[in-house]
Amino acid sequence: MFVIAAGIVLLNVAIYLVMSSIYKRFHIPVLLPALTATFAVVVLLLYFEIPYDTYMIGGQWINKLLGPAVVSLAYPLYKQRHVLRHNLPAILGGTIIGLLVGMFSGILLALAFGFSKLYVLSILPKSITTPVAIQISSNLGGESSLTSVFVMIAGFTGAIGGPYIMRLFRIKSSVGIGIGLGTASHALGTAKALEYGEESVSMSSVAMTVCAIVGSCVGPFVAWIMYSLIG
Amino acid sequence: MRILRIIAQVLFLYLFSLLGEYLQQLLHLPIPGSIVGLLLLFVLLLCKIVPVKWIEDGSTAVLAYLPLFFIPATAGIVNHMDIFSGRGLLLIGILIVSSVLTMVVAAHFSHWLALLSKKSKREKGNES
Repeated sequence: MFVIAAGIVLLNVAIYLVMSSIYKRFHIPVLLPALTATFAVVVLLLYFEIPYDTYMIGGQWINKLLGPAVVSLAYPLYKQRHVLRHNLPAILGGTIIGLLVGMFSGILLALAFGFSKLYVLSILPKSITTPVAIQISSNLGGESSLTSVFVMIAGFTGAIGGPYIMRLFRIKSSVGIGIGLGTASHALGTAKALEYGEESVSMSSVAMTVCAIVGSCVGPFVAWIMYSLIG
Repeated sequence: MRILRIIAQVLFLYLFSLLGEYLQQLLHLPIPGSIVGLLLLFVLLLCKIVPVKWIEDGSTAVLAYLPLFFIPATAGIVNHMDIFSGRGLLLIGILIVSSVLTMVVAAHFSHWLALLSKKSKREKGNES
């Protein structure tokens, strides 16, 4: 068992290192390691018909590092504490409005296209970091495994599309870039914000944190408002 | 030596996420344990109870490899491959449109608020 787990972990790390060296050389957003490495893993699983549960014997060890990875965001937060204090209204205002727009637009579009309540509720927390989104979704009556896939799609929208969106909508300030990426695309967006410099990263990680806290509080209200309006 | 320091510091960060999970269960908080741990560590750093030196190398190392930690969770998509066919594709479109909207609104609104507070600070400065 241990050998299998260690093998899977090593394989993951190897795939990741190869993909990130490719990304470093070409630097095209579509080659983002989180995407290409995941794609390679998915292809391997499907081709060799390995069940996800078997893969997770090793995968869960990497998954366990998500906790300390979230905690380590305290470091850029602390280093940028002065910037944060001076921009508090911008951070709170931008994040909360963005979060509400994201929740309502997601639900309304899903309803407009006739998706069932299960899908609508699973979409609601899509811009919130996976561990929180799963909790919100299952509390509301959504399907947590669907939610985690939706969270990833929201994340990749920012991580891959981010630079194009910033150019198209003329978002230039590091405050705007950071808050936008963190609010819409949680940790994947924050990983992208690393490329825009320290100020954007701290903005993004604060936005992600505020999103998680506020999102878990307002999520039930947003769902309740939608269904009392529609019936 | 540096590698040992990084491992020790990552274990220290892991301790905070465990502590956060414990507090979350104890106090029935709606926010997840890792975020409780983040807030806790941030406060301790601000109060100078935990010196930055204790987490600096570990945090930098973890953040440098951040995308690696998402791979197993994202690979869970193998159980939902039907999303990539038929009406499922519509769902992906909805998610992208809604995420772009979220990003643009959050970015522009926060930028506007930042300008606004800068202006009001300057006006206050002129009055006094």
